[in-house]
Amino acid sequence: MRTPIAIISALSMSLAATGAHAHAFLDHASPLVGSTVPTPPHELSLSFTQNLEPAFSTVEVTGPGGARVDQGKPQISGNTMRVGLKPSGPGSYHVHWHALSVDTHTTQGSFTFHVGQ
Amino acid sequence: MPRYRWRLRACALALLLVCLPYSAAFAHCFVGARFFPATLAVDDPCVADEMSLPTVSWSRTGDVPPATEWDVSAELSKRITEDLGISIGDVWTQIRQPGNPTLAGFADLETTLQYQLMKNDEHETAMLLGLIVDWGGTGAINSGIATPYSTLTPTYYFGKGFGDLPEDAGALRAFAVTGQVGYQFPTSSYDVAGGSYIPQVLVYGGSIQYSMPYLKSEIQDYQLPDFINHLIPIVEAQFATPVANNYGNSPVTTGTINPGAIWVGSYFQVGLEAQIPVNRASGTGVGVLGQLHLYLDDMFPTTIGQPLLGGTTALPRKLSF
Repeated sequence: MRTPIAIISALSMSLAATGAHAHAFLDHASPLVGSTVPTPPHELSLSFTQNLEPAFSTVEVTGPGGARVDQGKPQISGNTMRVGLKPSGPGSYHVHWHALSVDTHTTQGSFTFHVGQ
Repeated sequence: MPRYRWRLRACALALLLVCLPYSAAFAHCFVGARFFPATLAVDDPCVADEMSLPTVSWSRTGDVPPATEWDVSAELSKRITEDLGISIGDVWTQIRQPGNPTLAGFADLETTLQYQLMKNDEHETAMLLGLIVDWGGTGAINSGIATPYSTLTPTYYFGKGFGDLPEDAGALRAFAVTGQVGYQFPTSSYDVAGGSYIPQVLVYGGSIQYSMPYLKSEIQDYQLPDFINHLIPIVEAQFATPVANNYGNSPVTTGTINPGAIWVGSYFQVGLEAQIPVNRASGTGVGVLGQLHLYLDDMFPTTIGQPLLGGTTALPRKLSF
């Protein structure tokens, strides 16, 4: 059974040599996924498990009335995506994001946070 | 088993690993926001670039007295195009029964051709068709572990996540199910050496799984420990029911129910399950099944982690909602 060990070793060495990347999972968000905050946040921050490709990673936030409240193109640095939020009232905010990790793997997701409820 | 055959298999696997051309592509089993992990006893509903190495199980058979069985297997799955994939795998088995000689050897080589019927991101639904072929005469026939005849099993696979339930469903949205059903035809209807008919068998199973990663990123972040947030508790079940050409054989359905958990990382996953036989014919006592599973598309995103055909090295298009 030496061959499987050799294959695992080869895989490990190749992985180290290529500096591989992977799918970008949402690691945490601010405000937290599903949380309730007392006042409307000025900014939404999403942190992922991998670095992002800025040109192809996006986020959209809709407020309690269903209108978009994000201020457009997010700022992306490394594995973090930030977008400013327009002033809005209490209620449920829906976040929908697409992420492209630097090795071209795409992921997407959505969640809700609540203000003042 | 002849040593040259094992070497041949090792060489074939090595060639697949090092010679695949540079192209491009995407993921393992993501459907919208849902990630279906590679399950241990049944298959997930996606074509993918991945490798299970090894899968190890320990169990006791339903014989009297029970024999102890070890199975060590490996499987490599590779996409040919974005929607068409092929897998190749084999199992080494050792059976020890008190009062009898130990039997050991490889089962027949197994290949699976799979086509991705559909993926629906919004409803977290995936469907797959496959043809599993166990190539007779490629394993340890003399020890009874392999067979001189082949079997063909057309199989339908599906997966469904419940993230599309209303938000009021809360944490229930992290549940998902997968399933598969296949019909196994042997290429011979009678086993001359064993003096018995070879039945046609309905092979089916599925899983119910609860995704802690999904709970954290889509529903509610409870700020649980990182290890917990990577877990997918799961119950798998697999069954086989002889349905035709079964004269003189037991008509009993055999199978196991496997509760366990899968830890999902960025490049690999580790799964561990108990194997509970559904009846005496399926085994004696509780067995154990474990697996290390590698995501080749994440480990080697620009080489062997991409489809053989139809890939592109061009930058992806701008995403839009």
